[in-house]
Amino acid sequence: MMADIDNTADFKKDSNGRNIETVYCAYCSSKILNPGSATFINMNFSLPHMIRRRDEEAEKRELINDYWLVEEINSFENIGVSHKVENVKYLACADCERGPIGWHDLSTFRSYIALCRVKHQKSNC
Amino acid sequence: MAKTYDYLFKLLLIGDSGVGKTCVLFRFSEDAFNTTFISTIGIDFKIRTIDLDGKKIKLQIWDTAGQERFRTITTAYYRGAMGIMLVYDVTNEKSFDNIKNWIRNIEENASADVEKMLLGNKCELTNKRQVSKERGEALAIEYGIKFMETSAKSSINVEEAFFTLARDIKAKMEKRLKEASNPPKGGGHQLKAIEPQRKPPSLFSRCSIL
Repeated sequence: MMADIDNTADFKKDSNGRNIETVYCAYCSSKILNPGSATFINMNFSLPHMIRRRDEEAEKRELINDYWLVEEINSFENIGVSHKVENVKYLACADCERGPIGWHDLSTFRSYIALCRVKHQKSNC
Repeated sequence: MAKTYDYLFKLLLIGDSGVGKTCVLFRFSEDAFNTTFISTIGIDFKIRTIDLDGKKIKLQIWDTAGQERFRTITTAYYRGAMGIMLVYDVTNEKSFDNIKNWIRNIEENASADVEKMLLGNKCELTNKRQVSKERGEALAIEYGIKFMETSAKSSINVEEAFFTLARDIKAKMEKRLKEASNPPKGGGHQLKAIEPQRKPPSLFSRCSIL
């Protein structure tokens, strides 16, 4: 199982750990990151589920390990940044607003995009 | 990492609450039973990358986050802003009257050369209209700014509005850069191109034809 996940990530990054493919929203195909604008990072961070039922009180979270690290917020092609929740802002698609697809750390100004919540595709150009 | 864009513009959306500023920038699609996590906490700003006459422009678009309820926006919010979308609701007379107050607030707090544009939103609600397109145009002319009627709900003119504002900021910056590299010489010819920046507002308001 773990080996499979690692292979997937390996396939998506170059020898410097940068993303080979363009990163898109998994739902509406809005472009999020150009190739080479993020670096693969393995870390533990749990993101809230993207959908919750109205009657659910506590938000459910999912532990995710594989992220694209984006050093500077303006490196994103298109991104929506949420209001502050504790010390983070959550990231969403700028077009359809589905999210969180990642999070923005307010103490380091770094952003992280969960590989499993976006689509990777070779760009045409 | 090398900069991958030519310009970065910070834009603000300003106007009374309820005029649809949030919709101009954000779209909330919720069904009756589910709510997305993001729509619950709300969006602070967005980054959008557009191609404008061969230049790659990053737009950082900020919403007022409810500050407008106090009828004033703090200086901090205006800091670094290069463009402002003044939004009113064509079905709400008061929101139109308040544009004057918002302009005063901008003059007091924002940089003097900030590019402004007036938007009459919700133009799809024809039977509830209280502010005619002509009045919007007249106000824009009074302040020497561009005007468009938009419908965030029907996606009319929203993108065009952002492109127009971005294009004007870009033209202003390029003009300034040119002037900085070519300071006018005393006694020489000082021909300054008069840019056709202020086109009749009607060119930009397509809403009424729908």
